[in-house]
Amino acid sequence: MTISLDVNGKIHEVTESPETPLLWVLRDGLKLTGTKYGCGIESCGACTVLIDGRQVRSCGLTLADVEGRSITTIEGLSSDRSHPVQRAWAELDVPECGYCQSGMIMAVASLLARNTSPSDRDIDRTITNICRCGTYNRVRAAIHRAAELMT
Amino acid sequence: MNTITSLSRRQFLKNTGLAGSGLLLGLAGTSSTIAAESGSFELPPFVSIQPDGSIRIGMPCSEMGQGIHTTLASVLADELEITIDQISSLETIHHPAFRNEPIKYLTSGVMDIQMTGGSVSLIAFYGSFRKMGATAREMLRGAAAEHWSIPIDQCRAAAGKITNTATGKSLGYGELASAAARQAIPENPPLKSPDQFKLIGTKVPRVDTPAKIDGSAVYGTDVELPGMLYGAVRHCPVFGSKIDSVDDSAAKAIPGVIAVIPLENVVIVVAANTWTAMQGADALVLQTTGGDSSFSDADIDAKIQQSLSGSQLGAPVAHEGDADKAISSSDSTMELEYAVSLQAHATMEPPCAAAHVTEEGCDIWAPTQTQDFTAMVAMMVTQLPAEKIRVHTTYLGGGFGRKTNPDYIVQALIAAKATGQPVKVTWSRTEDVQHDQYLPPFGVRLTAGLDSSGVPNALSVKLAGPSPSQPMVAMMGGYFPPWLAENGFDWATCVGMFDFTSQAGSYAIPDLKVNYIPTEIPVPVGFWRSIGTVHNAFALESAMDEIAHASGIDPIDLRRSLLREKPRALTVLDRVEQASGWGSTLPEGHYQGMGYIYYLDCYQAQVAEVSVDNRGRTRVHRITCVIDCGQAINPAIVESQIQGAIIYGLSGSLNAQINIENGRVVQGNFDDYPLPKLKIAPVIDVHIINSGEQPGGIGEAGTPLVGPTVANALFAATGKRIRRLPIRRSDVV
Repeated sequence: MTISLDVNGKIHEVTESPETPLLWVLRDGLKLTGTKYGCGIESCGACTVLIDGRQVRSCGLTLADVEGRSITTIEGLSSDRSHPVQRAWAELDVPECGYCQSGMIMAVASLLARNTSPSDRDIDRTITNICRCGTYNRVRAAIHRAAELMT
Repeated sequence: MNTITSLSRRQFLKNTGLAGSGLLLGLAGTSSTIAAESGSFELPPFVSIQPDGSIRIGMPCSEMGQGIHTTLASVLADELEITIDQISSLETIHHPAFRNEPIKYLTSGVMDIQMTGGSVSLIAFYGSFRKMGATAREMLRGAAAEHWSIPIDQCRAAAGKITNTATGKSLGYGELASAAARQAIPENPPLKSPDQFKLIGTKVPRVDTPAKIDGSAVYGTDVELPGMLYGAVRHCPVFGSKIDSVDDSAAKAIPGVIAVIPLENVVIVVAANTWTAMQGADALVLQTTGGDSSFSDADIDAKIQQSLSGSQLGAPVAHEGDADKAISSSDSTMELEYAVSLQAHATMEPPCAAAHVTEEGCDIWAPTQTQDFTAMVAMMVTQLPAEKIRVHTTYLGGGFGRKTNPDYIVQALIAAKATGQPVKVTWSRTEDVQHDQYLPPFGVRLTAGLDSSGVPNALSVKLAGPSPSQPMVAMMGGYFPPWLAENGFDWATCVGMFDFTSQAGSYAIPDLKVNYIPTEIPVPVGFWRSIGTVHNAFALESAMDEIAHASGIDPIDLRRSLLREKPRALTVLDRVEQASGWGSTLPEGHYQGMGYIYYLDCYQAQVAEVSVDNRGRTRVHRITCVIDCGQAINPAIVESQIQGAIIYGLSGSLNAQINIENGRVVQGNFDDYPLPKLKIAPVIDVHIINSGEQPGGIGEAGTPLVGPTVANALFAATGKRIRRLPIRRSDVV
C-alpha cells in the first residue's frame, strides 16, 4: 500500500505501514534525518515538525494521520538558513550539541508564525522542548531576536 | 617514506610527550600524501594545506557540544595566521598522536588513550595546537623567503598569505604549500605573545552552528549507508541478570524483522527500519536468571550507612597533618552528613552506532568519547588487526561521560558481523534510562574541628559509594589500576574534596584526612558530568555554610579566611559578592546561598537566588557564576558551557531521580525522569575573570556548585538544612 506524503513541498509515495510514526517515515524512509528521535512519547520535542504550519511532535502521529497534510521539516524551513529563527540562532550561536535544536527551531518558527512578539510567558508556555545541554538562556534571547528580525 | 611525514610525526610525539607510550593500536599510519608529489603541505594529523589553498584541520577531540572544534581550530588558526573561514574541513581523527596526556596522568598511566572527557581537552592540546600552527606558519614564511630571496623577517604572515613587507607582494598558503613542505621543521617556532592574538580570547563564532541549525549535522543516529539494516536492543531489566531463554516468535512475526541476536544480557533485533526493530525488541519475551531482584533504594542507603558507620576504614586518600588529633583538641567540633542519589545522563541522542564488518576491514561510525575503546572493542568482536579498523567519529548528541563506554558500539559490531551488512543500532529512550551507567550514589560524613573563632582547622571526611571508574575497569578486562582505591586513590571519587594535581584540599585547612570506603552496589555507575565533585562539593560547601551559620561568620568571609593564600580565589569571591548583590536587599521572598570550588584549574564561586512556596516548590531565579578559568580561549563558549553545566546541575538537584525497585530502574522516559525545561531555567550570569593563566577545563566546571548553592539558599529561606540531592519538596516545608 502506498501513501502519498507532502513534505517540504514535494510529494513522496511511501510504502511504510500506515501505523508507522511520522518521525520514522521521515528519518528512515525519506532520509530527512534533521528531525530527531528523543523519547517516542511526545515529551521532549526533538522530533518537532510543522504540519499545516503548526508545531507537532512527529513521534506521536502515524503515517495515516498525516496523509494529505502539508509537512515541513527543518530541511524545508529555508534552503539557505535564512529563516529569521535560523538567523537569530546563528547570531547567538544557540546550539551546543545541537541534537534538540531542529525541533526547538521548528517549535519557535510555529510560535512566531502566530505571535510576532511573544512575551516571556508566551515562550514559557509554548516552548517546552528539552535541551540537555541547557541552552535555554540563549534560546530565550534568540526567540526575541528572531521576533525582531521578522518585523 | 616521505621526510615531512616522518619528521613531523617525531615532532608531534615529542611535542605531546607521547613518544614511547604503551597502547599503540597499530593506527600510526599518518596521511599517505607525499608532499613532493601532491604539492600539499602536511603536518599530520594536525593540519594539511592543499595547493588550491584549502586547509584541513584534524581534531583530537569529539565534538559533543562543548565547542572544542571551534576552540582548538581557533588556537591553531591564530598561530598559523589564517581566518576561521579559511578552514575548509575539520574532522575528529583517530590517531596515536591524539592520545590524551592529562587523562593518562590522572589515571597513573593506565588510560593512555584518545579520549574526550574530564574537561581536559584544552589542557591536553592547547600547547600542541599552538605549536603546530606556529610550525606551519614558520615553514610557509621560510618558503616565501626563499622564493623572493629575502630575509624571513621581511615575510609577514596574515589571513592565509605571506606578504613581502618590502614590495607588498603576497603569496597564498596554497601557492607556497609544496615549497613549505620541503622546509626544515623548526624545533622551537616562536609563539605569539598574548597581545598578538587575533582569535584566542575572542568570541569566534562556532564552526558547527550552520550544520546544527539546518538539520545537516550528522550524529551517530543519522549515519546512512548503502544496504544498511537497523537495530534496536532489549536488555535484561534486572541488573546482573542474564538471559535464560528468548521467545522471539512475536518479534519475528512482525514484517520487516530480519534477525534476533541474543547475547548474554541483551538481545539485538535487526530489521528493515528502526521503528520495526524497536517494535520487535518490545515484542520479545525474555526469561532471565540471576541478579538480585529484591534490591532497592533502601539497600543502597543501608550499604552506604554501613560503610560510613562501620569501623572499617578505607585507604586514606589524602592526609595532611593529623586530623584526628587536631579534631580531638579543637575548641568545638561538628559532625555533618550528606548524600546524593542516582542520576541518569539522558543524552538527547540515545546510545547508537553503525558498523560494517567484512574480511577486508571494519568501519564504525559512532558518537563516541573514546576512539581507542571503540577500536579495541572492534578488534575483539571482529578479530581483525588494528590496521583494518577504521573509527569515524560523528557529532555527539550529548556525551556528559556516557559515551566513554562503548557498550552500544559492541552491539552494532556484533549485529554487523552477524548479518554481513551495515547495521545501525539505536537504543530506545527507555533502554537508555534503564541501562545507563549512573551518577553513583554517595554518602559523605565530615567531622570538622573549629578554632575559638569558629573557623575550621581540621577536617576528617569519609566517602562511601561505588566507584564511577567501574566501567573503565571493565573495559580494561577487570584489571584493577593503581588509581583505584585498592591502592589508596580514586581520583573520580575524591575530586572536589582533595585536588590531585596540587595534592591539597580546596581550603587551607592544616589537618585534613579523606577516606574513601568502596561500597559496591548491583547498579552500574559511571562518569556523570563533573564526577565526584557532585557529592564532594555538595557536602563540603553545605558544611561550610553550616559552619559559617553556627559560627556567626558570613559564608563568603569564611571562605576568604580559608583561601587567604590564594589571590585568584579571593578575586573570585570579591567579584561574586559584588555581582550577585550579596547581602543587599532582595525581592520579597528571595534568598541567596553560595559556594566555592577549585576544579580543573578553574577558581569558581556561585550564588543562587531562590524562593520557595508553602508547598515546598523551589524556584531558582538567578545564578551568578564568577570563574577564573585562566586564558578564556573563547569567552562566548565558556559562558555557554557554564550556563549549560548549571542547568545540568539543576537537573540533579531539583528535578529528577533514578530509583531502584526489584533490582531494576523504576523510571523509563522523560515523563517520569523529567529534565529542566526553558520555563524553569534561571537567569544565569557568568562573569569571566581573565587572569591570563594556562587555560583550565570548563565543560564540567559549572555543575557541582548548583546543588550546594541552591541548598544553602533554601536554608536561608527556611532554616531547613538539605542533606540529600535531589531536594524533595518535603525537605523544605
